[in-house]
Amino acid sequence: MNWIWLLFLLLFVAWLPRYGLLALYQDWRSARQRELVEDALKHLLDREQSARHASPESLAGILNLPRVKVTRLITDMESQNLLETRGAELHLTAEGERWAMHIVRAHRLWERYLADEARMPLNKIHNEAQRREHSFTDAQLDELSAALGYPTRDPHGDPIPSREGKMPFVEITPVTAWQNDVLARIVHIEDEPAIAYEQILAAGLRLGQTIRIIERTPRRIVLSDGETEYRLAPTVAANVSVAPLPSSEVAKAHAIPLASLTRDQRGEIVQLDEAVQGFTRRRFLDLGLTPGTVIYPELGNFFGDPRAYRVRGTLIALRKDQAAQIWVKPV
Amino acid sequence: MEANKILAKAETLRGTLSTGFRDEIVKSLYSEAEAIARRAVKPVEGKRYDFDQKIDRLVTSPIAGLPIMLILLGIIIWLTVSGANVASIALADVLFAVGDWGRALFVQIGAPWWITGFIWDGVYLALAWVVSVMLPPMAIFFPAFTFLEDLGYLPRVAFNLDWLFKKAGAHGKQSLTMAMGFGCNAAGVIATRVIDSPRERLIAILTNNFVPCNGRFPTLIMIATVFVAAAFSPALTSFIAAGTVVGVVLIGIGFTFLMSWLLSRTVLKGEASAFTLELPPYRRPNIARILYTSILDRTIFVLWRAMQTAAPAGAIIWILANITVGDSNLARVIADWLNPFGLLLGLDGVILLAYIIAIPANEIVVPTMMMVYMGTGTMINGPGTSAGIFDLLVNGNGWTMLTAVNLMLFALLHNPCATTILTIYRETKSYKWTVISVLITLGTAFLVTFLTASFARLMGWV
Repeated sequence: MNWIWLLFLLLFVAWLPRYGLLALYQDWRSARQRELVEDALKHLLDREQSARHASPESLAGILNLPRVKVTRLITDMESQNLLETRGAELHLTAEGERWAMHIVRAHRLWERYLADEARMPLNKIHNEAQRREHSFTDAQLDELSAALGYPTRDPHGDPIPSREGKMPFVEITPVTAWQNDVLARIVHIEDEPAIAYEQILAAGLRLGQTIRIIERTPRRIVLSDGETEYRLAPTVAANVSVAPLPSSEVAKAHAIPLASLTRDQRGEIVQLDEAVQGFTRRRFLDLGLTPGTVIYPELGNFFGDPRAYRVRGTLIALRKDQAAQIWVKPV
Repeated sequence: MEANKILAKAETLRGTLSTGFRDEIVKSLYSEAEAIARRAVKPVEGKRYDFDQKIDRLVTSPIAGLPIMLILLGIIIWLTVSGANVASIALADVLFAVGDWGRALFVQIGAPWWITGFIWDGVYLALAWVVSVMLPPMAIFFPAFTFLEDLGYLPRVAFNLDWLFKKAGAHGKQSLTMAMGFGCNAAGVIATRVIDSPRERLIAILTNNFVPCNGRFPTLIMIATVFVAAAFSPALTSFIAAGTVVGVVLIGIGFTFLMSWLLSRTVLKGEASAFTLELPPYRRPNIARILYTSILDRTIFVLWRAMQTAAPAGAIIWILANITVGDSNLARVIADWLNPFGLLLGLDGVILLAYIIAIPANEIVVPTMMMVYMGTGTMINGPGTSAGIFDLLVNGNGWTMLTAVNLMLFALLHNPCATTILTIYRETKSYKWTVISVLITLGTAFLVTFLTASFARLMGWV
């Protein structure tokens, strides 16, 4: 008789609504499925933003799934009207793009939070945010954004989309229309026509590079990143777009970190590093470490760390890592 | 409707703000403050920081810095332990005399024996014990500590030691809360308010208990004197005992770092938050204020909390010792029942029982142990001499060197007293962290004593 009761108990454990093993498994399955869909959407968006298109192969690579499962995933997503296939290319639909933007927003807001408030090391935040970005509503993200002071960029400098799925507006200029000798960052490289794209890549230019124009003639444009010179024909160079550096980057170019100020030097604070946000930045500002303040090291420690600085008449000790985030110019 | 329009407008304008606008706000606040200060405050001509700088160079120098720190800490602890000893005995004499007088009065008016016993041998005795053991050391330690604080020396200690704490993922100011813990762990936990970053503050709170407080020193000193120092010549006794206690304290500090390191890499993972430490100019200490803050804010405050928890503990101890079960009392029965577990940890049932009823105040651990060992109905000091205590524990109750060592380790590592637990809850406002603070310390104590006991048995030492 006992085994019947045992069987009954087993069935009960398995089929109990909501908390049974089967129900838990289904919950897990659907959460996993949702994560897969969202990761796929992110990949598609990522590809579209760099003006390439995703393919089933690239998707299989990024999700680390066998081709059969990827094919099934693509069919699923097509039926949900999230993407459409054009030949071998996968394109996001408007609905798919909206959802993808939502995930990107969740990811970058979480990165901001983890870096600023939870003080997690920068190389750890991406994976942690990857785990947390799923399962948040728009309203929850609005709350998070408000609590963080409406950040516009994540800790890596990438823009955080708004609730409506718009990226903060960045004005881009073809490099041919840029002034000589003014620093700029490459924000876009046009991949059509392919022959020009090939030449740009062959010259060694890449996205995110900081460059300036050092020579411009009707025959060629010479760019420099401070070490290497890149020569392009003006027609080719027109496919490279740049944007002004954030003012913080410009200011940093002529400053040194406080930590490398020597004992007999005095410095004037230029700015606090962009990487310092949230709690730490508030603390620095509270102590009077504002731009324009004169500061100089006064007391060393026999272990080299921390060091005490005289600022506004008071003596404040800072660790090397903190002092490296305060940019000063020697005076 | 208007409000919504304004909000919507603000929403669109927010996007156009530059990232540094908060910095600009603070900057303008500071320049406004500077302008006001320039109008109102006249700087003394030629005032420089030369003298302060000289002292700073000295106390943070590689050769003099560490010795100065250790000597100062040594002086404070020596003052506390030796000075408190005399005062404690005098205070105990007075308070116990009052107890005898009260008991006599109750007997005279014909109160039943159990009322007399409960009130005078239970509640009052525990209170008198806690006050006489706790008050003198705190009344010496806290003013001495506050003196260094007022002088402006303490932040320099944090400055000197920060590199060590940084390695453990903690904050340099934790050195100050640890030093405060020598006086009282509850006061140490309150002192963590000086650490402004939440993560590092929590680490300091959770590990503060690994520094033995005044209440635990008597136990350590007793064991060190009776067991360790007895093996050496009488002339060396006090030195060996002091050395042993210092050794135990160092083990505790070692556990503080180890646990800080573990916490900052597991549950409290994260990068070191802003380390900012103000080094104020040296000031002439204000003696009146020192006495006021250290006696009222710290000593009386802590003592009051301890008395609140000691009174019920005294009642429980008296009940346990005076309810007879068969031919022994309830305390003995519980101790026998706890014995197998105690032996596993290299301790015994009586020690565990003493630690359970002494959760309110560690000061009464030794008297409770003595009470159970000697089968009396009230807490007592035990035999008057070291040799007498040695005889009672070793020959009468089967103690070995392992019991002595493990008791010292257990006294160092075990859970915080009730006052400290309560304080941890008040400071963290979280049941979770309060429970964790108890589990961490108790778990460490069990684990370490179990390992030493097993190791000693494996090597055939006991």
